[in-house]
Amino acid sequence: MSGLDIVGPQFAVLLAAGAVLMVDALMPQNRRLVPYIALLGLGASAIWTGTWVARDNYQEAFHGTLSLDQYAVFFYFLFAGITATVVLASIDWVNQEGRGQGEYYALVLTVCAGLMFLSAARDLITIFLALELSSIPQYILAGWGKDRRSSEAGLKYLLLGAIASALLLYGMALLYGLTGTTLLLGIGEFVASPAGEANRSVLVLAMALLIAGFGFKMAIVPFQMWVPDVYQGAPTPVTAFLSVGSKAAAFAVVIRIFFEALGADFLSSDWANVFAGLAAVSMTVGNVMAIVQTDIKRMFGYSSIAQAGNHMIGLAAISVAGEQFTLGASGVLLFVAAYAFTNLGAWVAIIAISQKIGSDQIKDYAGMWKRSPVLTLGLAVCFVSLTGIPPTVGFWAKLYIFNAGIRADLGWLVIIGVLNSVVSAYYYLGVARQMFTGDAEGAEKVRTSPSIGLSLGVATFGVLAFSIVPIPLITAARDAADIFAQR
Amino acid sequence: MPFLAAEPITTLVPSISEGILWAIGASPFAAFVVIALSYRWFPKIAGYLAILGVGAAMVLAYVTLFNVIDADGGIAQYTHEWFRAGSLVVNLGVRVDGLTAIMLVAVTTVSFLVQVYSTGYMAGDPGIGRYFAYMCLFTTAMLGLVLADNLFMLFIFWELVGLSSYLLIGFWYHRPAAAAAAKKAFIVTRVGDLGLLAAILLIWTRTPTHTFDIATIQQVAANHQVAQWVITWFALGVLAGAIGKSAQFPLHVWLPDAMEGPTPVSALIHAATMVVAGVYLVARFFPVFEASPDARQVVAWVGAITAIMAACIALVQTDFKRVLAYSTISQLGYMMLALGAFGYAAAIFHLFTNAFFKALLFLGSGSVNHSTNTFDMRKMGGLRKAMPITFWTFVIASLSLAGIFPLAGFWSKDEILLDAWRDNRALWAAAFAGAFLTAFYMFRAIFLTFFGDYKGGEPVDHHDPENHFHGDPAHPHESPWSMAGPLLVLAVPAVAVGWFAYRDAFADFVNGALPAVEESGSSFEWGIAISSTIVALAGIGLAYAVYYKEWVTSKSLREGFAPLTILFENKFYLDRLYEDFFVRTVLQRGWNRLLELNDKYVVDGIVNGTGQLGRELSQRLRIVQNGQLQTYGLGFAAGVIILVLAVFTANPL
Repeated sequence: MSGLDIVGPQFAVLLAAGAVLMVDALMPQNRRLVPYIALLGLGASAIWTGTWVARDNYQEAFHGTLSLDQYAVFFYFLFAGITATVVLASIDWVNQEGRGQGEYYALVLTVCAGLMFLSAARDLITIFLALELSSIPQYILAGWGKDRRSSEAGLKYLLLGAIASALLLYGMALLYGLTGTTLLLGIGEFVASPAGEANRSVLVLAMALLIAGFGFKMAIVPFQMWVPDVYQGAPTPVTAFLSVGSKAAAFAVVIRIFFEALGADFLSSDWANVFAGLAAVSMTVGNVMAIVQTDIKRMFGYSSIAQAGNHMIGLAAISVAGEQFTLGASGVLLFVAAYAFTNLGAWVAIIAISQKIGSDQIKDYAGMWKRSPVLTLGLAVCFVSLTGIPPTVGFWAKLYIFNAGIRADLGWLVIIGVLNSVVSAYYYLGVARQMFTGDAEGAEKVRTSPSIGLSLGVATFGVLAFSIVPIPLITAARDAADIFAQR
Repeated sequence: MPFLAAEPITTLVPSISEGILWAIGASPFAAFVVIALSYRWFPKIAGYLAILGVGAAMVLAYVTLFNVIDADGGIAQYTHEWFRAGSLVVNLGVRVDGLTAIMLVAVTTVSFLVQVYSTGYMAGDPGIGRYFAYMCLFTTAMLGLVLADNLFMLFIFWELVGLSSYLLIGFWYHRPAAAAAAKKAFIVTRVGDLGLLAAILLIWTRTPTHTFDIATIQQVAANHQVAQWVITWFALGVLAGAIGKSAQFPLHVWLPDAMEGPTPVSALIHAATMVVAGVYLVARFFPVFEASPDARQVVAWVGAITAIMAACIALVQTDFKRVLAYSTISQLGYMMLALGAFGYAAAIFHLFTNAFFKALLFLGSGSVNHSTNTFDMRKMGGLRKAMPITFWTFVIASLSLAGIFPLAGFWSKDEILLDAWRDNRALWAAAFAGAFLTAFYMFRAIFLTFFGDYKGGEPVDHHDPENHFHGDPAHPHESPWSMAGPLLVLAVPAVAVGWFAYRDAFADFVNGALPAVEESGSSFEWGIAISSTIVALAGIGLAYAVYYKEWVTSKSLREGFAPLTILFENKFYLDRLYEDFFVRTVLQRGWNRLLELNDKYVVDGIVNGTGQLGRELSQRLRIVQNGQLQTYGLGFAAGVIILVLAVFTANPL
C-alpha cells in the first residue's frame, strides 16, 4: 500500500482519466457525466493530498527520485484546483464542439498528473518524464479546435516544444556526464565539491540549457516567441490551462533544480544574475507588446510573459542562502498561486464572453457592462489584481516579491518591476474602462451557464478571499519554501 | 583633510527654549491661516496681520540669535518621533546653531521690512489679501526650511518654498508673462529638486542607521562611515537641488523671468531669502562636501561660472530689475564659489550681507517703478533730484555690492577672494574679474536711472482695468513713507553688517555649527583688500566715463566688443537652447509625436482594432511558415548562446 500512497494523488487523477475514456466509449448516453467524473477524480486527489498533511506523511520515495514534502503538497493542491477550474470552464465549449469529450478530459487530467509529478520530482530522468507526460497532451489540446488556427497553434507548440525538450535533455546529459548521477542532491554534492568549481564552464553551459528548456514553459524572453501565436490559436480553455498550469510547474521544478543541484555559491550568483536580467527583459518586452494588441488572447499572451518576469524577481532573489532564500522562493510560490487564481478568473470570463459574442477583439468588449454585469465585474476584479493594485491578492504577491528583491539588493530590478506595473495598468485597466464606459455593439445580454458561473465564482472568490485575508496563502507558501531552508 | 577628528555633536544649549523655536515658524503660519480665512471680508487688515505675524517671528529670531551668541555659537536640537514604519523613522525636530540663527534673522528682518513696504507698494491691488497670505506662507516655509533638523522635514519645506514662490511669481496670473514665468521657475527648479530627492533617498538607504538626521549625516560623512561614492553622489544630489533653488548655472534661467512677480516679492524671495536656500543647503552639508573633494570642486566651478556669466549678462540689460536679477545670480555664484574653496564662513557672511543690500536694491527699483510706471532704464534718467531717498539708499547699496570700503559688501567679498586665493588661483581670478564687472554694471544702472535727463517713464494706460498706477509718470515723485522707510532702515545694515567681521566674530559664530573646524589663518589681507578695491573703483570709473561723461559712447563700446555683446544680450543662448531645443523640439515635438503615435497605434489599436502596428504584427506572426518557425528556433539557440556569453562576460572563468 505504501507505493500506492506515494503516487495516490496522481493515481486518482489518472484513474479518473481512464474512467472518463471508458464512459465516453461504452456509455455514450451518459456522456454528460464525463466532466463530473473528472472533477470527482480531482477532488479525490486533493483529499488524498490532504490526508498526507493530516498524517504528517512527508517522505522520500522511489530511491529519492520523488520527494513528498510540503513543497510538493503546495503544488498538488494548486494543480488540482487549476485543473478543476479548467474542467468547469471547458464544459460549454466541449459540448459545443461535440466530439471527443472523453479524450479531451482525459488529456486534461493527464496533464494534471504530469504537473504533479514535476513538482515532486528530484531526479533528472523523473523530471524529464514528468515534463513530457504533461507536455504531449498539451500539444494535442492546443490543436484540439476545428479551425486552422488551432491546428497551427498545436503544430507550432509541438515543434518548438520539441526544440525546448532537446535543449533541456542536452543540459541534463551534460550534468549526468559530469557528475555520474541523475539525483539532484547527488549533483548538488558534486557541484559543491572542489571538482564542481573546476568544471564551471560545463556547469554554466548546462545551466543555460536548463534555463532555455524551462524558459519555454515559463514563457520568458527570449524563449517566448510561441506564446502569442499559441495562446491566440488554441481553444480558450486550453489557453487558460497553459497560461497557469505549465508555467507554475516550470517554476516549481526550476526552484528545486537550481537550489538543490546548482546551488553552490560560485554558480548561484551566476544564475541569479541571469534570472534578474531575464526578469527585467521579460517584464518590459511583455508589457510593451501587450499594449499594442487588439486581440484579447494575444494581449494576455504578452501579459503572461510580463508576469513570468515578475515571478522571476523571486527566482533572482533566491541565490542568497538562509532566510533570504525562503523569502525569494516563497515569493515565487505566492506569486504563482495568486497569479493562477487571478489569471484563471480572467480567462473564464473571456471564455464566456468570446463564446457568446464570437470574437476575441478587444473593441468588441466595449459596453460589456450593460450586457453582462457579472462577467464584467469578475473580469474587472481580476484585471485590478493582475495590475497589482491594493488591496488585491495580486498586490500582496507583488509587494512580497518586490520586498524579496529589495532584500536581495535587487533594487534596480524592483524599480523596473514597479515601472512595468504602471505600464501594465495601461492595458489591463484600458480594457476594463472599455467594458464599463464603451458603447455596446449588440444589445442582447450575454448569459452565463452554471458551470462557467461556478468556475468564475470559484476563481473570483479565491481572489477576493486572499485579498482580504492573505495570511493563510503567505503561510502556506512560506511553509512550502521552508523545506529548502531546513536542509 | 580639513577635519582632524570629528567629534559627535553633543553641545546642547538648554538656554534656548524649544518653544521659541517652534513659535518662530508658527507665528507667520498663524498669520497665513488668519489672513486666508479672513481676507475675503477684511482685505484691509491682511497687511497688518502679516506685519504682526512676521514681526513676532523677527523678535523671536533676535532672541534666539542672542541666546546662541551667549552660548558661543552652540547647538541646540530638539527632536520628537513623528511616525515609524519598519526601518523608516521620521522625526519632527528643530535645530538651531550659528548658521540657523543667522538665517532666521536675515529671513525675518527682510521679510518684515518687505511686508511693511508691501502695504504701500501693493495698495489698491484687488488681490492684496491673497498676496499677504502667500507672503506669510512663504515666510513660514523658509523658516521651517532653516529650522528643520532632518532631511525629511527639510524637503517638505523646500518644496513648500518652491510652491509659494510659484504662487507669488504668478501672482498677477492674468498676465501671460507672469504665468509663464511662474511655470518656468517651478519646472526648472523641479529638475534640481529631483537630484535632492535622489540624494535624500540615497543617504537614507546607505547610512547604517537609516537616518534623515542632518547632524548624523554630517558625522557619517566626515568619519567616512559610508562608501566614498555615496558621499560624492549625495553631495552632488544636494548640489543639484541647490543649483535649482539658487539659480546657478545651468539652471539659472528661471530667476530673471521670475521678476514678473511684484517687486517686493522679488526683493524678498528672489534676492534675499529663497534663492539663498540653495547656498544654505550646501553650507549645511559643508562637512559632506569637505569629505568629497570631487563634489567640492564641482561646487566651486559651478559658482565661478555662474558668477562670471551672470555678471556679463547684467552688463547689457536694459530692464532695471533684470540687472538686479542677474546681479543676484552672480552674487549667489560667489557664495557657491566660496563654499567650494573651503570658505564656509565667508559664504554665509556674504549671504548675510547680500540679503540686506540686495533687498535694498530691489526695493529701490520698486520705488523707482512706483513713480515711473516702468522698469526700462531707457525711459528713466535724472531721478536723483525727484527721489533723493531712493537715490541715496540705492547708491549706498550699490557701493556695498561693488565692495567699497567700509561698507558691508567689502568685508564679505574680501573674505571670498581671500579663500579663493588660498585654494585655487584660477577661482580667485574669476572672482576678481567678477568684482570689476559687478561695479561696472551697478553704476551703469545708476547713471542711466538717476543721472542725465528724465525721459518720461511709461505713460499710464487708463483703459487697462488691471492697471492701478497712481500718480503721474511724467512728474516722478518720492515714494510714500511706508516704502521709503524700509529703504532707510535697510541702508543701515547695508553699511554696517560687514563690521561683524571684526576679529572674526562672525566666522567664529557660524563655525560653531560645524562638527570640527580647521584654523585657516587670518581672514584679512591687505593685498587682497587693496587690489579688490582698486578693481571695483575701476569698474565704477568706467561706468562714469561711458554713461555719465560719455567719453566713450556705449554704442561704440557695444560695437567694439560685438561678438561678446551679442552673446551677452542673448544670455549665452542658454534660454534659447532650453526653450527651442529642449522644450519645443525635444519635449513638445517629442510629446506631440508620442501622442500622435499613441493615437495612431495604441488608442486606435485598442479602441478600433485597426492599429497598424498591432495588425501587422499579428498578421505576420499568425501564419505558419517554415521561415517563421525557423526564426523561433533560431531565437532559442541565440537565447542559449547569449545567456552563456553573458555569464562568462560578467564573471569570467
